[in-house]
Parts: sequence; structure tokens; C-alpha cells
Amino acid sequence: MNRFAWLAIASLPVFAAAEEKLSYNRDIRPVLSKNCFSCHGPDEHGREAELRLDVAADAYLGGESGDPSIVPGKPEESLLVKRIRHHSPRRVMPPPDSHRQLTDQEKDLLERWIREGAEYEGHWAFQPPTKAEIHPARETHPIDHFVADRLNKEGLQFSPEADRPTLLRRASFDLTGLPPTPAEIDAFVRDPDPGAFERQIDRLLASPRFGEHQAVAWLDASRYADTNGYSIDGGRHQWLWRDWVIKAFNDNKPYDVFLTEQLAGDLLPGATEQQQVASGFNRNNANTHEGGTIAEENLVNYVADRVKTTSEVFMGLTMACAQCHDHKFDPISIRDYYRFFAFFNTVDDAALDGDGGINSKPFIHAGSCLSTPEEIESVQRELAAARDELARPDPDGLAAWIQSSAADLARAGRDFSLITLSAESATSPNGDPDRIKIQADGSVTIDHGDYAAYNVMLRLPPDAGPIRGIRVEFTPTEKSGGKLGFHQAAGLEQNFVLSTLTTSVSPFPAFNVDLNAMLPMQRISASAWQDGFGPEFLHDTTPTNGWAPPTGATSPHVVTVTFEKPIDPSATPFLTTELMFNYARGASPARFRILAFRGHDDGSPHPPDVTAQLRKPEADRSPADLQALEAYYRTHAPATSALRHRIANLEERLSVLTGKHPVMVMNTAEKPRTTHILDRGLYSAPGEIVKPGTPLSLPPLEEPADRELNRLDLARWLTRPDHPLTARVHVNRVWLSLFGKGLAPSPADFGVQSPVPSHPELLDWLAIQFMESGWDHKALIRLIVTSRTYRQSAAPSAELAKIDPENDLLARGPRFRLTAEQIRDQALFVSGLLVERLGGPSVKPYQPGDLWRQISHYGSSPATSQTFVQDHGEKLHRRSLYTYWKRTLPPVNMAIFDAPNREVCSIGRDATNTPLQALVTLNDPQFVEAARTLAQSLLALPVTDDARLIDGFRRVTARPPAPREMEILCRTLTREREHFQADPAAANKLLAIGESPRSPALDPAEHAAWTQLASTLLNLSETLTRP
Amino acid sequence: MAAPLLLDRRAFLGRSACGLGGIALHTLLSQASRGETPNPELFRTLAPKAKRVIFLFQSGGPSHMDLFDGKDSLDRLHGSNLPDSVRSGQRVTGMTSGQSSFPVLKPIAPGKRCGPSGVWISDLLPWTQKIAGEICVIRSMHTEAINHDPAITLANTGSMQLGHASAGAWVSYGLGSENENFPAYMVLISQGTGKNPDQPIFSRLWGSGYLPSQHQGVILGAGREPVLYLDNPAGVTRNQRRAMLDDLASLNQQYAEQAADDETTARIRQYEMAFRMQASVPELTDLSSETQETLDLYGPEVRKPGTYAANCLLARRLAERNVRFIQLFHRGWDQHVAITRQLPNQCRDTDQPSAALIMDLKRRGLLDDTLVIWGGEFGRTVYSQGTLGSASSGRDHHGRCFSIWMAGAGIKAGYVHGETDDFCWNITKDPVHLRDLHATMLERLGIDHNRLVYTFRGLDQKLTGVEPAKVVTGILG
Repeated sequence: MNRFAWLAIASLPVFAAAEEKLSYNRDIRPVLSKNCFSCHGPDEHGREAELRLDVAADAYLGGESGDPSIVPGKPEESLLVKRIRHHSPRRVMPPPDSHRQLTDQEKDLLERWIREGAEYEGHWAFQPPTKAEIHPARETHPIDHFVADRLNKEGLQFSPEADRPTLLRRASFDLTGLPPTPAEIDAFVRDPDPGAFERQIDRLLASPRFGEHQAVAWLDASRYADTNGYSIDGGRHQWLWRDWVIKAFNDNKPYDVFLTEQLAGDLLPGATEQQQVASGFNRNNANTHEGGTIAEENLVNYVADRVKTTSEVFMGLTMACAQCHDHKFDPISIRDYYRFFAFFNTVDDAALDGDGGINSKPFIHAGSCLSTPEEIESVQRELAAARDELARPDPDGLAAWIQSSAADLARAGRDFSLITLSAESATSPNGDPDRIKIQADGSVTIDHGDYAAYNVMLRLPPDAGPIRGIRVEFTPTEKSGGKLGFHQAAGLEQNFVLSTLTTSVSPFPAFNVDLNAMLPMQRISASAWQDGFGPEFLHDTTPTNGWAPPTGATSPHVVTVTFEKPIDPSATPFLTTELMFNYARGASPARFRILAFRGHDDGSPHPPDVTAQLRKPEADRSPADLQALEAYYRTHAPATSALRHRIANLEERLSVLTGKHPVMVMNTAEKPRTTHILDRGLYSAPGEIVKPGTPLSLPPLEEPADRELNRLDLARWLTRPDHPLTARVHVNRVWLSLFGKGLAPSPADFGVQSPVPSHPELLDWLAIQFMESGWDHKALIRLIVTSRTYRQSAAPSAELAKIDPENDLLARGPRFRLTAEQIRDQALFVSGLLVERLGGPSVKPYQPGDLWRQISHYGSSPATSQTFVQDHGEKLHRRSLYTYWKRTLPPVNMAIFDAPNREVCSIGRDATNTPLQALVTLNDPQFVEAARTLAQSLLALPVTDDARLIDGFRRVTARPPAPREMEILCRTLTREREHFQADPAAANKLLAIGESPRSPALDPAEHAAWTQLASTLLNLSETLTRP
Repeated sequence: MAAPLLLDRRAFLGRSACGLGGIALHTLLSQASRGETPNPELFRTLAPKAKRVIFLFQSGGPSHMDLFDGKDSLDRLHGSNLPDSVRSGQRVTGMTSGQSSFPVLKPIAPGKRCGPSGVWISDLLPWTQKIAGEICVIRSMHTEAINHDPAITLANTGSMQLGHASAGAWVSYGLGSENENFPAYMVLISQGTGKNPDQPIFSRLWGSGYLPSQHQGVILGAGREPVLYLDNPAGVTRNQRRAMLDDLASLNQQYAEQAADDETTARIRQYEMAFRMQASVPELTDLSSETQETLDLYGPEVRKPGTYAANCLLARRLAERNVRFIQLFHRGWDQHVAITRQLPNQCRDTDQPSAALIMDLKRRGLLDDTLVIWGGEFGRTVYSQGTLGSASSGRDHHGRCFSIWMAGAGIKAGYVHGETDDFCWNITKDPVHLRDLHATMLERLGIDHNRLVYTFRGLDQKLTGVEPAKVVTGILG
């Protein structure tokens, strides 16, 4: 909306009525702060004319002119008034070149305030909150008392209460991030008890989904992610910290403890493992592995980010502004800044991340706090069942596989001929380029081992006819001691691991493989392989697996790739292959050459014994042969891959529940770094040495006689009952999560520049109530959502929409678009796909292509997370807060819905409305699959189509469709039915999207039509809205 | 099919160059629920010269003395040690800080004095030599950053710190979009053959930072689906989608009325734009309407999607479609090693397409109101990284001076700005900080960089940051 319109509303609560005395905090400070303080405020170095207007005594005294700027009661004697009303551009304040300008209204206000006595007040947020007395009034709920007070002043009234389905949808999303089921709605609607809503709230607060949902905003604020952020942006392991957060919310850990453990869990006496994990909060900062990094510079950056995050999250203070100079507006000096900085500068961390997926130090190995004996038992049971299922004889599947594999081998070698090629170019991004050479025979030699990708370009003879694939032949050299490579890892001595092989062709020379046109591979065979390094691992880009020849081999070995479509060398004579050697920090082969082939590859994708068994005529296969084939079928056949994924996922889950895993934590270095005030924030300009301490303008924190202050002292100080900020900031953030905006509109800035809260007395009352309750987070939420204010209908009357479009006055219920996580989770939930497991390593659901590889250092670094490898099975359907968060390219379907990149602390999200969002919910396979599954689940109901439509509609909106809506939905269904009945092939294409199985019993045309209907439901604006 | 609509719209708006149209269309394209649209009165200047920007970002740090700042003194000094007096205590990266000597390496290839300004341009860039009369080379760029991440973040967001908005996002925020078929800010990515893969790039470089997220750049990729999620699911036709969207719109309209929800009304329009994009993007990337002569102008790689050449042609097509900010990110300029092998490759990939873009824009009359910027995050050291003369030697990062070029939108053509010393190490005349480049870019678009602000966490944030920035008036025609 127009900024002016917004200002008009924002000004609603600001200006006093004509008869009421002006308040410095409410009416005057915003004007002075915006227009005057940057030159006449707290920043000593930026101060002009020795004049300071933010402190009463200084303003009364005046600046270098000697005349008092402000004479209380006498505007005509106050220099300030003269200057702001001056007609000369050279004398008027603020000066024109500052691009600041006072409105006439503001000038009048300042003058009136001086006439009324020019009384200064401390900034509201720096004063301890006071608990206003609640007079017995019409409103029984304390929150409603404050809101009604304000509404009365404006001549407005509460809107009516929202209907029950709406109310339950609102509360379910707010508390658990998921919609209510139709059954839950029915139960609530039918509950005659006066405490029915409160009971629903208690149910939602007790759900484990509560902690998952609450965690999301905390992860934003704490800039939690799965990668390191700067430069190469390699992977890290910090999910144990995320799981600690989920558990803390579910356990309703008092907020003062929640804060203390995160800031100083490691310093608590007898710190438990989980308290140390909690301290990982201060390790969520981005870090780097860039080669040229200057350690001191980056260490300063890391600590600065801890200061920024801690001050914004817990105090709502933008301390970061004081890193280079005194704060322009808030009473925070550069000295305050570096004293605060000193709290976090004692950790024994390093400038570079651990690389190769290893955490940056310090880190520990810890267990998961979410592990329960019940889940361990159930996972073990599931795992045993899955393994049993895999072990169960599957004669039909086996026979089909034997038949197709035998047929494949029967074709092998048919019309096969190799074409010798000569490398025309061979490049590698790393290290000494002289180590890679093209030999006279067209092969490529490498002098010594390193991790690297090699791009090799060759020219195909134009008349070679259709080329089916390429073969890479590896041969020993003297440099590698007559063996094939340079690896040093145990079991791979003088060997190599080829982790990825990608190929493209083009009509003209291309030195790099074309990531936009990689040739899909149909079949991969190899001459032989080291146990555990079969050729099948070349089907994905994971660097932690690959094909390796037998270790110790001294004779040539080959790997052969058949492409899905043959290459026509007359059209595209240039072939480029990228060979990636990045296993366990990688090591290269000694010599290789690339050949093309026509016909069918004469190699086998299977080990020699299996190949021999498959090649036997059926009658000759012994029972032992069949047994061996069956064993191989179980572990390798495509038909068993879903089950194998399930087993792998369960095995990982069991390890999460029972094992120890790495997580970064805080500690104290034996010799902590000395903290200096850094001139202009530059690491290279250290000045005075300072000790840890808190800003002087806030309640004092005395240093003990025998030691310096530490993070635990800081946590205790923040949670003192007289701390003016901590409780207010948290209460405000909770309000933001329930109303879409805070009572104080800038949740991370309670400083002097921040807009005045819409309901300051309510904010204070809640803050004190919160502390008095023992910092009880769930009780705070329960208190707010049971108010009349929260339960109002969100639909504004035309008049109200005009008077208060942004709902500052709270005369109606809050309504906003669902978050990225909620939109995806809802689709999974209503379709029945959602897999509800708490915590664990982050997962990689569907993402188009390999966007990571397009921007990353893949092929030039042992860092992890340089290439996107999609997960399978239940990992495709976990709640969105578990989606792997790569900072330099966050999950796209969530970034489009305003998820932040988590590089820095972020509090509150936008709720934009863009065309790209429509493309996600219409076309993203995640949502198409959800539509298909929702359709299947509706079709499974033993009811009429009408009843199915109503059920589906209720799942996504909580209400039944109106007759007109039913009519439209029926029309959609009929049309789609006709379409797919006429084009069953199209139906099958649509139904093939997504990896979850579909019920083969359903008629494809009918299923596809309902899929389109379900997609319509998932795209309703109402579906995307938290009402 | 996009053209008539655009013409209608232009006729309808009927205003001057950048016009008020951009503002009017703001809401059409990017409806932010709570994101404020800035009041143009607060930051617009009177006479915008550019309607749009094409930023050809060369990621990695192109070597200035090898490309644009070669000089005779370097031949003379070749092999001598960089004197401490010249080095001026400049910190160097962890990659060469251990080196015992800093031998001067002359340009790896000869060059020529070109165009009216007589600016030196390397023979590695024969096509750029040809357009010397159209461009303004700035040899006096500088930055504090000496490592990629902070440097490239500064070059693109105005700050080395994380969390700030990119230049393109600022322009989208300030001016909005001028069309109904494309986002205001589009990003195209390529990787050169000089060094593959080179330094990573990050979505924050085209991110929205603290600005509302609809201002982030949208990637125009080279795969089957140039805009992510653009294609209907397999098995669903465009007609089918049309009918479904009509039903969806009816349902949404009911809800909008019943619930008095403006957001839903806005959402109906977003779905319509999504539908239009499904046609306008394929039309954009379909090069069949380009003549052979035009394709040849950009060079053979123009036919290969995802190459720098193809992206340069797409940049022109996006400019024709009035996309406000078009940014190419081309990787591969980080020549620490083997510069004699890598740099010629890198130049070959980029030289002809960059020059072709200027020529093509010019002959179509688009150069007058399109600002084109070619440049990276820093330059490279005059001294050799590694043994001088070895095939594996290269150059380290250098921020004290580097070269970029600009063209169009009233920037002086055939001009050279700024000078460096004999060592190409220090600036001797007319320094231009990256902030000044940003200020100048905004000035061309009719924006006062001091006044296009966004209040975030109590501060008026702006692209040029807190340090003073100045418009480089010397290069304005």
C-alpha cells in the first residue's frame, strides 16, 4: 500500500488529542529521533555544533552557540524553535542536504511540547514495565480490557466472534502449524461445554507438533541452517541443536531457562550434554572456508554476528550499529558494543569451517533429546518388518528381473565396436595445472593425487554413426607405482574412486560439461570393482560413493556408460565428460582415456558371478545359482529400491535415536582472545582493551571481584525481573506469531527509533504477567488465544477496512497468508502423506534439477552440499522445518513464500503475493503429488462424489462449500473427467508424478480428474490463508 | 503476443521515459501484503536517462592490467619486485601472504590503444576493442574487500556484511516493473571455461535482504524449465489449466467477497500473471525469430543455452520486454593459477557476446535508455602468484584498483576515467568506489541514492550504505 496511507494509520495511535498533554515518548521522541539525533544525538563523533538533543540537560544548555536550545515553557526563547522555523536554507534545521524535513504538524508539536514544559522521559523500552491495574469493567479477560479501552477511545467495537470452524483452523495453525481435521472440527462444533475452546487449546498445546511449529520462528531468529553460509557454503551438522529447541518448546521450558541454556548452557555448573547442545545457539553464525581468508577478520565477523543476534533476539536492540561508531540513536556506545562483544570472544573457535562436512570446532558428539524408548522400539519393529519383507521370497519379481537382466546380457556386445578418441583438452580447477597432461596417444595422465573434477573434451568422427556411449579406461603409470591411482585411504591404497561421471555433446568445442544438457545414462557397466564401490553408484552425484576398480590392480580397468539416446556425431561432434574424484577428500587416477562405442556395451553392470549365472540357460541354473541371484536381486533390483530406501531411512533413524552425533557448541578457550575496541569496526585497528560488560544505559551488571563476567552472568542479567527488555521482547514476538504483527511493530528493534507500541500498557502487563508466571511460554499463548480479541472474526466491515486497514486497533481478528512451511505441510497433511517424526538430520525433498551444482564449488572442493541429491521414501514427506537449509540457495519452493535465507537473524516474515507462488502450488511435484494423494484418499471414502467434494473442501478450509462453490467444483470434476477419459495416456502421465505409490486399483482417468480437483482445492486462496 | 499488450499499456500510461507507469504497475506485479511501496516523490530525480540496467557481472576478479590497464611501465618493471613504497602496507590474502617475493608480471598479452579515448585494451578482447568508441572504461574502481565472499557481496549489495538487499532488488523496489509478463529483476548464470568451477555465487547476490521478498531476482535458467515450476504437470494441457484457473478464480472471487479479503483479489491477479508467464517465458527463450546475422553476431555459443553468449542475447530480449534489471553472473575470472592458459579462454567466452550486446542494443535504439555495466568484484595483483614465468603462476586478488566498463544511458562513449600508477597498484586519479558505481547507476535511473531508503530495524537502509557515496559526474554525457 501507499506509504502515505500507511503513515496515516501509523499516526493514529501517535498523536495526542488536542486537550491531552503531549508525551515525550509518544509524540516528541519519534520526531527528534528521525530528524535530529543523527547529528545531535548519542554518537559523540558524529555530533554537530556540540549540541545534544536527546538528553534534557544538554538540550536546555544548548550547543556551541551558547544559547539554550530548549527553554522549558518558552518556545519563543528556544533556539530550536527558531531554527526549525527558519526561512533561510542556510539556517533552517534540519539542513536541506540531510534530506530530512519537518512537517508543519511536527514543528507545531515541538513548539507545543516546549510550551508545555519540555519534559523529557526515558525511552519507554528502557524503563522497567509497569503492570497497569485492571479496573473491573465489561471485559473479564485482561487482554480484552486493554484492547476495549483503546477501541472505546476510537469509538469502535470488537467484531463478533469467528465461527467455530474458523476459530479452530486459526488456532490449529497458530499453535501447531497444521490445519484441523474434519473430525476435530466436528467435535469442537458439537461440544456444548462453555470451556470447549479452551479444551481445544489445551489439546493443541500438548501436541508434539506444537514444538515443531514454535521452532520455525526461533530457527529464523537464531539463523539456524545446515550449511556454513559464506563462500563455498559447505555442509554442517547442527540439527541436534534444532531438536533441542523443539523439545524445549514441547516441554514448556521456562523462557528464562530457555534463554540461559542457549546463551550459557556450557557454563552452567555440571552442564549436561543437552545444556551444552543448547549453547550451539551462538554457533549458528555463518562461517567460511574461502582460501584467502584472513583469520582475524573472520573471527571478528563471527563474534559480531553473535552480538547482533543476541541483542536483536533477546533485547530487541540493534547493537550492530555500534560496531563502527557510537549508536546514532540508541544509548549504546562503541565501548558498550565491544564490552558486549567480549562475552562471545572467549570461545575457542576457528576462522575456517571444518570442511568436508566436518563441523567447525568446538563441537561435541551428543545424543538426541527427542529419543524415546517407545520410538526406538517401534523403529526397531518397523525395521525388522522391512527387512523381513525384503527377505521374503518374491518369485514373480525375481523371475521378471532375471528375464530382463538376461535379455540385457544377451544383447551385450552385439554390434559392439570401440572408437579410439583423442582428448583435445583436459582441465581441472585445482592446484598445479601442469600435473594434468594429454599424452601423444590421446590419454590423460595425472601426476599426483588431489580432489578434483577433470573436464575432458574429445572430437567424435562425424561419420561414426550413432554412438551409444563412452568407455573410460584406466591404466597404471610409474608415478602411481604401477597401480591405478593415488588414494591413501585404508582399503583404497594406490586406487581411486570415480564419484561422478557426466557427459554432454555440442556442435562446437566445449571445454566444460554442459550442466544444462547432461546426457541421461541408461546403463553403467565396469570390468570389476572393489567391494562396496560398484558402478551403480555413478547414477547419482553423491561424493561419498562411487565406482572404484579392485584395490591393488596393476592392469587396466574400464567403466562403460550407455546413454539413453544415441549421439549423432555429425550434428554434435564434440563430447565433453567430467570425471569427478572426490571420495573421502578425493584422489585421482594415474592415467585414463575415453573411447566411444557403437552397438551394445559388451560389459556387464553386475559382478562376474551374477553375470555368469544370468547368462546360463534357464535350465542350467542350479538352486544355488537361483539363491545367489535372489540375494543380488534383493540388494540391487529396481523393484526393491523403495524398500531398500525405507530400510536405510529406518537405520538412520535408529542411529539418530540411539547414537551420538556431532553438534557445534560454545566453550571457553584456555587462552581467550583479547577484546579491543576496533576503530570503525576494523579488525586491523585494535584500540583500547575492554572486558565483558553490558550497555551502561541498561540495569547495571557488577563484575565480581575474582573474575571477569561471562555469558552465564549475561544470561542471569537478561532474566532479572527488572530488565526492561527481555520479557517485553519475547511477549511481543509471541503476539506477532498470533496476530501477524507485534504490539510493538518492530520486533527486533525496541530502540529509540522504533515506532511506539499500539497498546503499550497491554505489552507491559503481558511482560510482567509472563515473568510472574515463571516465564511460562505455553501459559502466555493460552492467555492470548483465549481472549475475545484473538477470537474475533477477521472479515472487516467496509468502514473498519477504511479506518484501520492494518488492524492496529485490533477491532477484528487477525488474518494472514500461511507461511512457506505451513503451505507445504498442509498439503502433505490433508493428503495423508505427512510423515510425523520429530527431529533428526535435515532432509532433501523434491527440488528441480541440481541448482546447487550450478552455483557451487562442486568439483573443486571437498566441502559437502555442493550438489543436490534428492532423498527418497519418508524423507520426501517430513514437515518442512526439516528441509535441508542451504544458505546460499535456500529451498526454492519455500524462499518463494518468503522464507529467509537464514544467513542472519530474521524476526517476522513478509507475506507477499506473487505469480511465482502460484507456479509452486500448481506445478511443484511436491504439490502435484499431494493433489494426487489427496484425490486417492477422497476416492477411497465409501461415499458419494458430493460427500467427497465436501470432505476435501473441509480439509483445506475447515468449512463445507456453499452451493455455488459445489456447483463450480462439480463442473471442474466433470470437465476433467471428460478430458482424461478421452486421453488416458495424459492421465497416466499426471499420475506418475511423485515417488509415493498410487493405488493401482483406481481408474486412471477418474484418479487424474480428482487430482485436478484436489489441485484446485490446494490452490484456493482460502486454503493458503490462516483465517 | 506480448508486444501488443505492452504497446497498449505504454499508450495507456503515456508518460515519459521511466514514467509513472512503473509506479502504477507496482501493485500489479508484486503485491506485497505489508511491503510498503516507496513514494516516488521522495527519491525520484527529474530526468532519468535509463529505463533499465543490464549488469554483466564478471565473477572472480577480472585482471585489470591484463585487460584494460596495460601500460609500458609494466614491460619495464616485469620481473622486478613490487617496492614496499608502492605496496603501501596493503594486506594480501592468505594465498600469497607467505610469498617471499612479489615479482611484477607484465600483461600476459599485448594490447592496443583504442577508440577516441585511446584506452588500452588487450588483444585478448578483439571485439571489445571494436566497441571502444561506445564504452566508458573506468580504471580507478576500488574496494576494501580482498576475498571473494565479502567482495562480491559488497559489489552486489553495497555491504560486505550479510543481510543487505541486492542492487537489482533496490531498483525493483524503487521503480517496480514496467510489464505484466515478467518479474522486474531477472538473473542469468553462466560458467566460463577459464576456470571450472570457479568461486561459488550465492542467492544473496540477487536477494531482497530486508526488502520485501518479491524484489529478489528471479533466475532465468537454461534447462527445460527456464523459470522454476513454470511448466504445467505432465499430462495437463494449457487449455485444461486455463479452465481450471477460471474455476479457481470464481471460487476465489466468492471467498474474496464473502470474507472481504483484498489479498484474495490480489491473488487472483497473481495466478493470471503466472498463466501469462507460462507463455511469455517460452516466447522469450525461443530464438527462432532471430536472424542468422544476429545469431552470428553473438558467436557460435549463442545457440547453446546457459552460455554467456546465449545469456547476452537473452539480456537484449529481456531489455526489449522492458524488464527493469537484468543481471548476468559469469563465473571463471579467478586466475590464481595458470593465468596464461585460463584468461584467454575466459576472454574468448565473453568478449564477442559482450560487444555484440552493445552493438545489438545500439542498432535497435535500446542503448540510449539501457545502462550496461561490465565488471567484477575486484582486480588482480600486478605481482605473480607463484614463480614468475611458470605455466602454473597467476595473480592474487587486488582491491586497491580495478577496471570496469559502462555503456549507454548517456554515459560518455569512447571515454576513459581514472588512472593508476606505473604498477597498476594504486589509483592516481579519480578514484571510484563500488558505492559510487551504485550511486551512479541509480542516478541514471532517476533515483537519488541518498533518498531511496527502506527503514529496517531503526535505520534508513540504502544501497550505498552509511559511508558517503558520490555520483561519478565525470563520466556522464
